[in-house]
Amino acid sequence: HHHHHHNHNHNHNHNHNNCTKKWRLFFTRIYYLFQLQEAFAKGLLKPGMNILVNEPKKHVNNVEGLKHCLANFRKGLPWVERLDVTNPPAADVVAQAEGKLPTADNRDVNADDDFQREMFFYRQAQATVLEALPLLNKAGVATKRPEDYFAEMAKSDQQMQKIRKKLIAKQTILEKSEKAKKLREQRKFGKKVQIEVIQKRQKEKRAMMTAVKKYQKGMTDKLDFLEGDQKTAQGSSQANKKALNKKGPNAKRKYKDQKFGFGGKKSGKKWNTKESHNDVSSFRAKVAHGKGGPGGKKGKGGKHNKRPGKSVRKKMKSRS
Amino acid sequence: MSTFKRKRGGKAPGDNKAKKARFIGNASSAPEDEQEKKNEISVPAPVSKGKWTNKERVLIFSSRGINFRTRHLMQDLRTMMPHSKADTKMDRKDKLFVINEVCEIKNCNKCLFFEAKKKQDLYMWISNSPHGPSAKFLVQNIHTLAELKMTGNCLKGSRPLLSFDPKFDKEPHYALLKELFIQTFSTPHYHPKSQPFVDHVFTFTIADNRIWFRNYQIIEEDASLVEIGPRFVLNLIKIFQGSFVGPTLYENPFFLSPNMHRRQIRLATAARLREKQIVKELQSIKKSEAKDDVVRDVTADVFRTPAEEKPVHIETEPPEPKAVKKNKHKAFKRQRMQMARK
Repeated sequence: HHHHHHNHNHNHNHNHNNCTKKWRLFFTRIYYLFQLQEAFAKGLLKPGMNILVNEPKKHVNNVEGLKHCLANFRKGLPWVERLDVTNPPAADVVAQAEGKLPTADNRDVNADDDFQREMFFYRQAQATVLEALPLLNKAGVATKRPEDYFAEMAKSDQQMQKIRKKLIAKQTILEKSEKAKKLREQRKFGKKVQIEVIQKRQKEKRAMMTAVKKYQKGMTDKLDFLEGDQKTAQGSSQANKKALNKKGPNAKRKYKDQKFGFGGKKSGKKWNTKESHNDVSSFRAKVAHGKGGPGGKKGKGGKHNKRPGKSVRKKMKSRS
Repeated sequence: MSTFKRKRGGKAPGDNKAKKARFIGNASSAPEDEQEKKNEISVPAPVSKGKWTNKERVLIFSSRGINFRTRHLMQDLRTMMPHSKADTKMDRKDKLFVINEVCEIKNCNKCLFFEAKKKQDLYMWISNSPHGPSAKFLVQNIHTLAELKMTGNCLKGSRPLLSFDPKFDKEPHYALLKELFIQTFSTPHYHPKSQPFVDHVFTFTIADNRIWFRNYQIIEEDASLVEIGPRFVLNLIKIFQGSFVGPTLYENPFFLSPNMHRRQIRLATAARLREKQIVKELQSIKKSEAKDDVVRDVTADVFRTPAEEKPVHIETEPPEPKAVKKNKHKAFKRQRMQMARK
């Protein structure tokens, strides 16, 4: 028995060195049980349910140790080696302009507001740069890369090309959507104007018809409505019409009218219009005044036809 | 990483193509420069020549089971820090103090070790190798250099400016972390792989009890910046006195382990569901309860208007027929209008 007990002790010691969490828990629980037993024996525990309340977990904060460690660890390097700057963020120009300036004391940035947080970091970096550049110049460290200095960059040229392409793509998409929006607006506006004009015309027509009917039925014997309409028509609708006629019919409409309007294009334009009336290009003076005929005219003998007769003309036509 | 041994103060064999520059301002090489200017050949700058005194080397490596994002983050850190060295993945079976031996073999005095657990959580150890302090962080919100939204670029191996929040000076544990970051992340002056220009800045900020890391490129002297990346968030877990071993100096009370976090979320959703169920049960109980009869109608006198009662008149005889007025001698409308006009 005794021997066995010894063995157990030996094992116990070994276990303690490589104690896993499970074993530790087990041992603490046994320890607590033992304590409970002791307390009960002493009469400290009251009868009834005694719930074990975990004391709040204490977090290690060995301030002395930290300071000591820092003192040992710190290397007294000159600033040029470290290049570190500690500073609060630079003044937020945008927020000041908008008047949304947070109190100077409240330096805590809300980590959930993405934009504000990133702007906070950005301004901190800016303040550092503004502070450090003069120090660097003093220390003789260059900050500006000369134009002919070609060296390997952290991101390859390929990567930068990808980035550029993406930015350009974003830009074009934005522009396209803007254009599409504007076009839609324009179309809507054009449609609105069209509807208004149609309604106005209908109203006028209605008014005119009622006025005419009234006259017909003899309720009024003044013919004011005719002139009245003209006056108003001339006055107001001119402006409107001009505005409309500027756009005029669509180019498409125009083309279709030209091609198919009035029964389609004739093979030639044989219309008696002002242009065709004024067109005297087909006037042959010789033929018209009969100059230079075969040896001149025989006085006023026969009726020298400047224009051959119908049958001759027909023959000529069929020949050519 | 190149494996040839670099001579102290001499030019590395590959460098002739990498750097073509006229180096400004190094007094010791001034006579050579003049000759070269005459010949118009650009010669690489002899950067170190015995000036490199701050022998800081960082070992960056990871354990097994990391995912692509972590791997890229490590590569990016190696790109950003020319004074870093790489090593193969460490088996997780080995204890952490083996890392100290690895560092010694590689002749490094700082170490950044990435450990991935459950293929989800990434922990980062940063330590000063032989004796110094070490810290363990949980890394979150990793964005690598390759992200297309980070449009900045910098020279590979250029020295960074380090920017710290003033909160780092207020607490002793933050002060220790600040010193650790400074020594690890700042590239030594005249390091042979470094570039002589300072064109980017690392920022470390404390927000929400975490440390936020950002990397910006300095475009103009008036401090206009563009982000280069990478970016990540460090959540401090513990600070140890030794390197990967030793007594705990500081434990972060705000740290919630990712397992606990996930557990909390699960419990929250479970609690919400249970609450809904309870409410439903209550409602069904209410419905099935015996209800008292309503005696009085609450809406009875809503439409009651305070008017006096009229006497009820009952008609015994039918009413008289109304006289029809039809004026047949009215003039026609037309005539009427004419007459009205006249």
